[in-house]
Amino acid sequence: MSSSQATRLPTTAELTIATPEGVLFRLPLAGPAPRLYALLLDTTIVLAAINGVGYLIYWIFAKAPGFGTMTTTLAEFAIGFAYGALLEGFWNGQTIGKRLFQLRVIDQSGLPLRIEQAWVRNLMRVVDALPFAYLVGGIALLSSPQMQRFGDRVAGTLVVRETPVAPPAEEVWSKQKYNSFMDYPALAMRLRRSATPELAGLIQDALRRRNELAPYARREIYRELAAYLQSEIARFPDELVEMLSDEQYLINAAGVLFGHQRLSARA
Amino acid sequence: MILDLERFQAQARPRWNKLESLLAALEGRPDHRLNPGEAEQLQELYSQTAADLNRVTHGALAPELRQYLERLVARAYAELYYAPPTRSELWQPRRWLRIFTAFPEAFRRESRYFVLAVLITLLGCTFGGLAVRYDPASVNVLLPADYLRNPGQRVHQEESGKKRAIDSVQNEAQFSGQLITHNVQIALLAAALGVTFGIGTALLLFENGVLLGAVAVRYTEKGFGLFVTAWLLPHGAFEIPSILIAGQAGFYLARLLLRRREDRDMRQSMREWLLLIAGLAMMLVWAGLMEAFFSQHQAPVLPYEFKVAVGAAELILLTFYLSLIGRKKAAKPRGRIALETANE
Repeated sequence: MSSSQATRLPTTAELTIATPEGVLFRLPLAGPAPRLYALLLDTTIVLAAINGVGYLIYWIFAKAPGFGTMTTTLAEFAIGFAYGALLEGFWNGQTIGKRLFQLRVIDQSGLPLRIEQAWVRNLMRVVDALPFAYLVGGIALLSSPQMQRFGDRVAGTLVVRETPVAPPAEEVWSKQKYNSFMDYPALAMRLRRSATPELAGLIQDALRRRNELAPYARREIYRELAAYLQSEIARFPDELVEMLSDEQYLINAAGVLFGHQRLSARA
Repeated sequence: MILDLERFQAQARPRWNKLESLLAALEGRPDHRLNPGEAEQLQELYSQTAADLNRVTHGALAPELRQYLERLVARAYAELYYAPPTRSELWQPRRWLRIFTAFPEAFRRESRYFVLAVLITLLGCTFGGLAVRYDPASVNVLLPADYLRNPGQRVHQEESGKKRAIDSVQNEAQFSGQLITHNVQIALLAAALGVTFGIGTALLLFENGVLLGAVAVRYTEKGFGLFVTAWLLPHGAFEIPSILIAGQAGFYLARLLLRRREDRDMRQSMREWLLLIAGLAMMLVWAGLMEAFFSQHQAPVLPYEFKVAVGAAELILLTFYLSLIGRKKAAKPRGRIALETANE
């Protein structure tokens, strides 16, 4: 089921959620690296904020430096926990760092997290940050199937990736009106039946990234793919194949794989 | 391949776009409130899009389309099934003031974990006390700071006011800030170490108990019992109970995690845990202020008897607060009457 996904993002963990209506959807879970980057950014922001607050307090308490230091110490401590808890709680699971790295904390049922959860997972940082550099949290995260550190496990939260997804654009093969492979319905059927989703995805990717590939590489890849299809999957007549470039061959194959219901009707 | 992807997309795209713009509008609103018309529209578009997703899921040939629809369905699902708290709910001061009654209530509800924390600390105290009593050499191992090893010298220094780093109100203030954050940090750790199924919490409490027992016995043996009580009680009256409450929170968490997943009421229990922590943090603020501004003043300035009396008064107040506040005396009979009248 996830095989088509696996061809593109082989190391991604994901969470499958079943809604009460019986709809299944998957959410991509965030790995340790982006979370660490987001954490570093957030830490920088917190330190800057603390510095700013420190100067402000120093100025307010100019006559009573001891009380100033006391207020600063307490403010630092409170900001350290409240930054994550309040931002995540009120900003739908995102801190500034998480927003920039396209992460979001959610409830493990797929719903937005609640404020209590935000507080719990941020207070639990005292354990996850042990003994230094979030070692405990990192190990917990890597050993958990849902990439949860201890704070996430206790609060019942997950961190998901939220890379913006645009609706798929129109493909090359859908633009051509005539597909010469369709004249051979039996062969086209065989291609459609025996092409694995991985192979179909490969063809699709190869065509989509036409302009990203260097001409030489493109020629080689297209030649190999077309030769493979021709020899292993469906042997189209030589007189047809000779007239087609490798690229056109792949475009036709993709047209058979992804489009046109009419094929079965005519066959 | 069951369906003609292109035709399918062309047909369905208008409703996806509609759902997307509806979601964007909703997510932009602070309270995510739906009016009845929108709710109906969202419900309809959600079920249509979910059905579209189910169709693509089985033909594995359209990974992008599937991903796009999954994201759309996930967003719509979150909007449909989640009621975020409204602003007015969050900014009611009365709600926040309720923490002062909710904390002792939570404390009493989970009092068995408090008892467990007390028992472990007492065990540590006994161990520490006995060790110092019968094996004086163990002091060097048990008590880390050298000033605790030589009570006579320490008392003399304190009373003469020599070697006092804290010699002004300003320094006391600074000291109290450090004390509060340090203590809250330790207490939080004890409460959070519940994730180790309570083992970490128990070790922390035990160690704390050993120190306490060792210090108490050491000073009493040398005849400074009154001094050490006066020195520690004014802040200890709040500090030690709050560490015990942290232990309580830790054991509560451990018990929760040991429970089967279906039996957990996560929302309620998280609230309980947070209440205990909020309460102990408030207690530690008071303890920190007392420790810096009051406890450090010794005999010539403040008589020991007075300091002990203040500490005892604090302890009594705290006991009253934790055992009585929030207990609804009048509510019970009134509730019964209401029930009876309802039955009639």
